[in-house]
Amino acid sequence: MYAIELDNVRKSFGPVQAVDGLSVRVPPGCVYGFLGPNGAGKTTTLRMIMDIFRPDSGSIRLFDTPASSPMRTRVGYMPEERGLYRKMTVTAVLHYFGMLKGMSAGQVRQRGAEWLQRIDLAEHAGKKVEELSRGMHQKLQFAVTVINDPDLVILDEPFSGLDPVNQDLLREIISRLRQEGKTVLFSTHVMHEAERLCDFLVLIDRGRVVVDGTLDQIRAGHEANAVSVELEGDAGFVRTLPMVQAVKPDGRRLEVTLRDEADPQELLLALVARARVRTFEIRQPSLHEIFVQLVGGRHAEDL
Amino acid sequence: MRKIYKVAQREFNETVRTRTFLLGLLLIPVFIVGAMVLSSRFAPRPDAPRPPVRVRVTCPAAPLSEKIEDVFAEHNRSHASAWIAFEVQAVGDAAVQEQGKQDLRQGRLDAYVVLDGDLEGGKGAVQLFTYKPKPSQVDAIWAVERLLREAVINRRYEARGLDRKMLQEISNVPVRWAELGEGQGQERTQGRGQRMARMMVPFVFMYLIFLGIVGMGQHMISSIIEEKNSRIIEVLLSAVSPFELMAGKIAGLAAVGLTVMALWGVAAYGTARWQGMSIEMGSGLLVHGLIYYVLGFVLFSALLAGVGSICNTIKETQSLMMPIMLVFVIPLLAWPRLAQEPNGELARVLSYVPPATPMVMVLRLSSGTEIWMGEVVLTILVLIAGVLATMWAAAKVFRTGILMYGKRPGAREILRWLREK
Repeated sequence: MYAIELDNVRKSFGPVQAVDGLSVRVPPGCVYGFLGPNGAGKTTTLRMIMDIFRPDSGSIRLFDTPASSPMRTRVGYMPEERGLYRKMTVTAVLHYFGMLKGMSAGQVRQRGAEWLQRIDLAEHAGKKVEELSRGMHQKLQFAVTVINDPDLVILDEPFSGLDPVNQDLLREIISRLRQEGKTVLFSTHVMHEAERLCDFLVLIDRGRVVVDGTLDQIRAGHEANAVSVELEGDAGFVRTLPMVQAVKPDGRRLEVTLRDEADPQELLLALVARARVRTFEIRQPSLHEIFVQLVGGRHAEDL
Repeated sequence: MRKIYKVAQREFNETVRTRTFLLGLLLIPVFIVGAMVLSSRFAPRPDAPRPPVRVRVTCPAAPLSEKIEDVFAEHNRSHASAWIAFEVQAVGDAAVQEQGKQDLRQGRLDAYVVLDGDLEGGKGAVQLFTYKPKPSQVDAIWAVERLLREAVINRRYEARGLDRKMLQEISNVPVRWAELGEGQGQERTQGRGQRMARMMVPFVFMYLIFLGIVGMGQHMISSIIEEKNSRIIEVLLSAVSPFELMAGKIAGLAAVGLTVMALWGVAAYGTARWQGMSIEMGSGLLVHGLIYYVLGFVLFSALLAGVGSICNTIKETQSLMMPIMLVFVIPLLAWPRLAQEPNGELARVLSYVPPATPMVMVLRLSSGTEIWMGEVVLTILVLIAGVLATMWAAAKVFRTGILMYGKRPGAREILRWLREK
């Protein structure tokens, strides 16, 4: 059983093909990253999972049931465009959304109070939403998203517009949810967030899957050919070694790019033979680099 | 259903608590009563002070000229502030008449009158000339016209040897209209005001429905625009379907509307009783009124939900509201005819035009005329069909439009949404 199962899903808006035959399987109990440049179809896909849009063709299943079923009470969704009723009090907002998600009044009161404690808003419970600061507003938005203790949490660009304190809080909430065995799916175009949090990743571009898998799987396909070294004494000879393609000074270190078929271990042997090696580090390619490579220069500035 | 109820409950509570709502609840009746009082206070006065009107009358017949002078002099005695400066000429050849018209054109006169032919014998005509009369002078010239007619009539009486006073005595028949109360000896004289009020009863019922529907519609628009602008919509849509959201809003605001109408209705009824008017209000009318109101409101607010979902600001909605409002205003404009002929052609036709149905039918039912029950049932069925069609279309537009920000979609795009499954 998968938490989310998309099978060959398509959706177009007039002439624009937003999602073009997307198949994604999200296993339960993991943090799943939905990556891609702006306009790749991320938000459209998430909205289809939430049954806000209906796909033109293909099927979407949540926990083995069709997406349009009452399953949605087991899902917490935080859209990219998010807001709350400004004239209602903090408690009333939590209560309203909790009730809409099928909780009983007693449950809402209990969980609402717990969450307000957890995000330090307990003393502001009686205030109107419009009286809260921006940061407090964002925290309340998290609480609204998870008030119904969902098994699946879907977050669309959750880190955009957050201050650093709330970014940490959100990371902590995501980690906590994973520990509790919940599934978290979030979309982002900030690669280092995904690198830090996700067990699984999928990169989509123009409505199609470009690559998916665990971080290691994705990296495995893109072996490093860059090494960072720090040597004692003259390092001029490095440039002349047969396996070296280019050398770039990087502070006290050297950034060495190897020829395509070369093994970094050979470089290490060659270096040890000629000088004392202080640092030798095989550079892991960052997701950012991998994705720029995969998607091509077209979207490099968006990633 | 539970979700629809929750949405409705929030909509009701939040609407009833706003300051604009409470002000509207109090101010609209105050405003209506105030407008009625003020308009009677500001009605034109017959003795309003104004600059004198300069009139020259050319009248070759001497006995008639005499009467004219008498009548004008009498007028000037009793209306010191609305003086008429008049002169009467006995000679009326073409040159004199041309001179009179010339003086009129040059602004030395405000009106020039020529009486020719045998007016005494009932032939000929009073010719009244003006040149670019000022709007504020027009009713003073009417007074001149009335006085001239008076003078001619007086002369005719005299020529026939009749006594005008006597005829007035003969034609004067006093009538006292009294409304009986339930008990013996309970009588209440019906003045002009009471009679007017009684004629207004059906209109009041219709106007209540109109205010309830249109006034609440404004809340629908502002509620949707608020949710759109503060980006709550998508958060909401993760918990409820667009249809549930729309249905909940409509239900909540319909409940607000019913509350308001009940309060106003009780207040109006109380006032009428206090003023000594007993209004027949069968339970049938109440039940029908309720059905028509709820259906009418659902129709109107579904239209507005569709409109609100494709707009981003209140301002944008206004241009789309215009054509919708026009249909609702037709019964308000046509009400005198509808009240006079509750079973007439116009009333019957309008009863089957869904947006107008509730108001026209409430007007007809409250007018006291027997309406065939089959027609009531039929109009309700037509209205239900209209409501279902509107809800269907509005739900489709709402579903797509509610998440669109930026440019308003065009008619062609909306048609495409309607065709989508």
